[in-house]
Amino acid sequence: MVVKEEEMVLVTPGEVLGKATEVKAGKGAYVAKHNGLVYASLTGLLRTLSPPPDSPDQRPTVEVTGHKAHGPVPEPGSVVIARVTKVMTRMASADIMCVGAKSVREKFSGIIRQQDVRATEIDKVDMHLSFRPGDIVRASVLSLGDARAYFLSTAKNDLGVVSAESTAGKLVYCISKYDLNIILFYSFWIFCILQIASNIISFITLFKFS
Amino acid sequence: MEFVSPEGLRLDGRRPTEMRQLRAEIGNVAKADGSAVFEMGNTKVIAAVYGPREVQNKSQQMSDQALVRCEYSMANFSTGDRMRKPKGDRRSTEISLVIRQTMEACILTHLMPRSQIDIFVQVLQADGGTRSACINAATLALQDAGIPMRDIVTSCSAGYLNSTPLLDLNYVEDSAGGPDVTVGILPTLDKVTLLQMDAKLPTNTFEDVMQLAIEGCKAVANYIREVRKFLLIAVDIVGLCLVIKFRITFVF
Repeated sequence: MVVKEEEMVLVTPGEVLGKATEVKAGKGAYVAKHNGLVYASLTGLLRTLSPPPDSPDQRPTVEVTGHKAHGPVPEPGSVVIARVTKVMTRMASADIMCVGAKSVREKFSGIIRQQDVRATEIDKVDMHLSFRPGDIVRASVLSLGDARAYFLSTAKNDLGVVSAESTAGKLVYCISKYDLNIILFYSFWIFCILQIASNIISFITLFKFS
Repeated sequence: MEFVSPEGLRLDGRRPTEMRQLRAEIGNVAKADGSAVFEMGNTKVIAAVYGPREVQNKSQQMSDQALVRCEYSMANFSTGDRMRKPKGDRRSTEISLVIRQTMEACILTHLMPRSQIDIFVQVLQADGGTRSACINAATLALQDAGIPMRDIVTSCSAGYLNSTPLLDLNYVEDSAGGPDVTVGILPTLDKVTLLQMDAKLPTNTFEDVMQLAIEGCKAVANYIREVRKFLLIAVDIVGLCLVIKFRITFVF
């Protein structure tokens, strides 16, 4: 789409932008069925976009861009960043924080079901080994879900936990999907061993200098 | 009582078909998605719009359109004698309903399914015609919130006193007990969304009074369109200045 160069035209809702036979209604415009006119539905700047040269419909599109941008809303297929809030045996619930590259303005909750965690061996997924509360997850939206939450999926190579906190309290980043789970699982033991080792060392040093 | 003097002037010095002075401000409530203050003479109303947002009460959620809610209230200090009124009295629930229905008629609710839009209007100064002022303020606030609408809704009242149709009644004329016709219209689509009258009036007189009120609505519509465009440009200029300022500070 190419934006036509023209002077700034401000419109308010209800102003006539043209005939439906001559222009197409884009964002911020609508077609009235009873008289076939295109009206503005928002307050803002009027823009006319010329159609792509290869399309069969050669009408230019009129759209009104308002001054206020609404927060993004997740829709099926969009990739979101979410924070895991609760892990259950069959699913994990998460709060959606970003849709694409934009942060959301209000709270959207999502659910990652056991069968949507990974693409293979979906019946052997252990939710508690896959997620922990506080994990940052990259997921794609499967559907609008039920009334409460969106259904999310991490069953793709580029999706999954991207950032998490280990039991030792350090931030862990994802190198690969498999590694992160392993690190998280064993980090507690590594932490314990390190603690014991440091205790022994301090004990020895104390013993030496006294 | 004489409401129109022999010279053809009303109690506050207006002519019968003259409106009170209009004034509007936009963006007064920082936390709201859209807000406006609208004044018609001494009547002053503030409106705030929140939404479209998620439905609070899930049982009210509609899968094909947005839920519009409206709450009207009068500030204790808005009338001459200060009264403490209960929140949900008959009058305010009725006006809330009227405003909700009027605004619902112009909002493209089918574009925002499963969501809710809240409109709060409060009367800061009451001098007659609060219903109309509330509708006008709500329209401005909805526009400010960027909610898609079929057309703007504007409203104005007209009455019939001393055998003269009077436009935009003030409190004294309103409480005279004569007929009070409140009209709300979609000005470009030429449609009536609100028509209220609580008195008896002969048909031909009613037509005149209603026509006068419609003319008033159109005048309000022109004012709202002008003010909206002017304020939009003003916001753009302020934004541009900020950008320039930031650029300068960045350079230094």
